[in-house]
Amino acid sequence: MRHRDENKIQAIREKAIEMVANDGLENFGINRLAKTAGVSPATIYIYYKDKEDLLTSISIEEGLKMTRSTLKGFDPEMSFEEGLWIQWKNRAAFALNNHLSAAFFEQLRNSTYKEKMLETISKEFELTMGNFIVNALNRKEIDKMSLEVYWSIAFAPLYSLIKFHNEGRSLSGRKFVFSQKLMKDTFACVIKGLKK
Amino acid sequence: METLNHILIFKTNIATTAARQQIATVLDMHPLIAQWTVDLMDVDCVLRVVSYHLSPADVIAIVARYNYECTELTD
Repeated sequence: MRHRDENKIQAIREKAIEMVANDGLENFGINRLAKTAGVSPATIYIYYKDKEDLLTSISIEEGLKMTRSTLKGFDPEMSFEEGLWIQWKNRAAFALNNHLSAAFFEQLRNSTYKEKMLETISKEFELTMGNFIVNALNRKEIDKMSLEVYWSIAFAPLYSLIKFHNEGRSLSGRKFVFSQKLMKDTFACVIKGLKK
Repeated sequence: METLNHILIFKTNIATTAARQQIATVLDMHPLIAQWTVDLMDVDCVLRVVSYHLSPADVIAIVARYNYECTELTD
């Protein structure tokens, strides 16, 4: 009798993310994955049809994990400042604690896996975030602007800080470590720029 | 607990789309095969068959009729 083995599935998932994150999609293969995860290739084929099925399934799961972390404690009815601050804290926590996941998504950029993942997670995410913006507009907290302008002001500054932190250096090689204080200071400027 | 005995895994030499097309005619039509795939990207050209009724030996016999190698991969 062969049973579903959650520990093996977990090992396959974790090692697949790690391998793609470190070595890219071109070098990824089921046989190599089997060796790294300590299972036989047959075990992987029991759970997944092929490489494409495996990577699609894992990227959707990771995408959902990221969406859920980003929306934790968030309510589209919140005031603009409170809601955006929760978004910042959640996004920073996810990016700082899930290096491999972030690197995995980076490797998927421009792949069909990413498109499929976005198809699945976008709806719920866009609905929640869309309502948040509509509420802020209705309450006259912010001005109407294009999504790209909004994102560039609302979130890009946070991701710049995270990028500096991950590289350990900021401009002209200055040493850099991310902190809650820096995040708060940056957020204060962002809110000033966005709120009416 | 969910059992997975209906998923059968084989190493084959079904290495091209033409070869896959050839066995597709019989596997698609087989009333006891719910689903099947061949991973042409893999060195072992893994054939994966979902069937609640066929044994590995049954699948090997079907594939052998088309002169392809097929051996069960165990986990």
